[in-house]
Amino acid sequence: MIYDAPRFYPGGDRYIEVELGDEMGFELNFRVHSLAAAIRQAGISGMVELIPEMASLQVSYDPDCISYDDMVREVTTLAASAGGSEDVELDSRLYYVPVLYFDPWTTACVEDYRAKIADKTPDPELLCELNNLAGRRELVRHHSGTEYWVAALGFWPGLCSLMPLDPAHNLVAPKYNPPRTWTPKGTIGLGGAITCIYPDQTPGGYQIFARTPMPIWDREQKLPAFREDLALFRAGDRVRFIPIDREEWDHIDAQVTAGTYQHPDIGYQRFSLRKYRGWLAERAARGGAHV
Amino acid sequence: MFEVVKQGLETSVQELPGRIGYWEQGFPPSGPADAWSFRLANLLVGNDRDTAALECQFIGPTLRFGRDGVIALTGADMAAKLDDAPVPTWQTIPVRAGQMLTLGPAKGGVRAYIAFDGGIDTPVVLGSRATFHMAGVGGVDGYALKAGQSIPLGAPANAALRRVGEARRPVIAANGPRVVECMLGPNDDWLDAPGIDRFFSADWLVQAKSNRTGMRLTGPEFTFSARAHDKRPEHGRDPSNILDHGYPLGAINLAGQTPIILIQDAPSTGGFINPFTVPSAALWKLGQTRPGEIIHFRRVDMSEAQAMRRALDAACTDASLDPLA
Repeated sequence: MIYDAPRFYPGGDRYIEVELGDEMGFELNFRVHSLAAAIRQAGISGMVELIPEMASLQVSYDPDCISYDDMVREVTTLAASAGGSEDVELDSRLYYVPVLYFDPWTTACVEDYRAKIADKTPDPELLCELNNLAGRRELVRHHSGTEYWVAALGFWPGLCSLMPLDPAHNLVAPKYNPPRTWTPKGTIGLGGAITCIYPDQTPGGYQIFARTPMPIWDREQKLPAFREDLALFRAGDRVRFIPIDREEWDHIDAQVTAGTYQHPDIGYQRFSLRKYRGWLAERAARGGAHV
Repeated sequence: MFEVVKQGLETSVQELPGRIGYWEQGFPPSGPADAWSFRLANLLVGNDRDTAALECQFIGPTLRFGRDGVIALTGADMAAKLDDAPVPTWQTIPVRAGQMLTLGPAKGGVRAYIAFDGGIDTPVVLGSRATFHMAGVGGVDGYALKAGQSIPLGAPANAALRRVGEARRPVIAANGPRVVECMLGPNDDWLDAPGIDRFFSADWLVQAKSNRTGMRLTGPEFTFSARAHDKRPEHGRDPSNILDHGYPLGAINLAGQTPIILIQDAPSTGGFINPFTVPSAALWKLGQTRPGEIIHFRRVDMSEAQAMRRALDAACTDASLDPLA
């Protein structure tokens, strides 16, 4: 559910968890980002930083400047005036992410796990089975046939949680148990109802089935997209996966290595809940989406 | 500058307040695990208390100085020698170019701090010199120090020779169980009342699997409230699972039945509850607690945590320093 008013929970003497609801959904997440934008805009003295997440946001504050109670009061006021509004528009860049589905590296990673840690149904087949998809080609059509919303970033620098904006393209999967000890950099994974892109070689628990040659974080800041920032995405951006073949992978990979790769984003757009709801209603009226 | 002759176990450049403003993209604050000792070291060499300095863990490095100046050693005692002579901790020490500083293993506690007059002058990455070596950000080329490196220093100041009296130092080596203050929240409502009582009465053993991201604890089982069991499926299957949310520094993060205290380099977010949080003024204790030690958590409320924070802030000033006789 989405709560009528935010709930506040102290985390030590410098952090507040602000919960706006207890479900995984786009509308609730959009409210989280609307509230985060309102808090930033209000410029509350003593507000240090925010971590917007699925259904909540963490506010860090400087207790020398503002008390817990005063910060709660400020956020309550902002939530009442901004949190639920249909008319809120947020900045949202759209990124095209080239993806090689069923690439050799994630395939090898899954085989390595099955051989050394635990035998399991290979990830693409598990995804098809659990989501009633006829096979790998349908999985690709289904996964790449929607825009995704960057709902949150975190756990690892640049690691993004992506929600499909077209509900007809929802996919679900359990997480690995136990987790993988390694995942190739740029792997696309799915856990719960969330798609993620692994920014670097890290442990992981999502089902994996594709890989992008396009870096989403770069600690050396070599590529133009990372001049300002080490991580590509911000929460509230959108992503579209573009299936590519091996030849295209090699071409992009060579450009990345040479430091000449240009990330294909299409700049700032505005995203509004009202327009999104209108689009959803129109699709429903047309008889739903099918791939 | 100074030269790294031996790197020690994991010696890193740290700075306060750490990397602030990038947490929402997944970059943790980093910074020294024992900010109290860190700040006193800086004050002893005449720096602003938050200036970049070295954090040594378990086994310290060997360094050769490239210029005259002053240094100070605080935190865990690593039996430091300047050339062949033992040097005292918690005071300003003049050094000359070419002299060699050798640190050994920590005799009690975990982390020693070495401050240099003028501070360490490595590049600022995302607003800070603090090292987040898991992802290779900040510090020296992103990582802990390595033998053979030359580390740049700022211009020397004309520091007075001073010391921190014993009564004004943090107690680094544990003498029996370590008492660490702890607050309820944010997710204490996911535990039942006996589960909360058990947490505050138990002996918690610090596991060897502990580092700058977190400290794993062994102790009694947790028991949960209705909220942990009766929840929507997207929270996850285990009672300790919650929809991904932000993680406070100092949080006691509960993964299944294993509590992990999240410290300076901890993940920013995740899908486990944080029923308790160590307040900022007690974080330094965690930075000096060794694997194998026992922690007792003492429950404090917001006003006590604030009073502790103000007292610690006042202790990290020149008022804690006396002229060296």
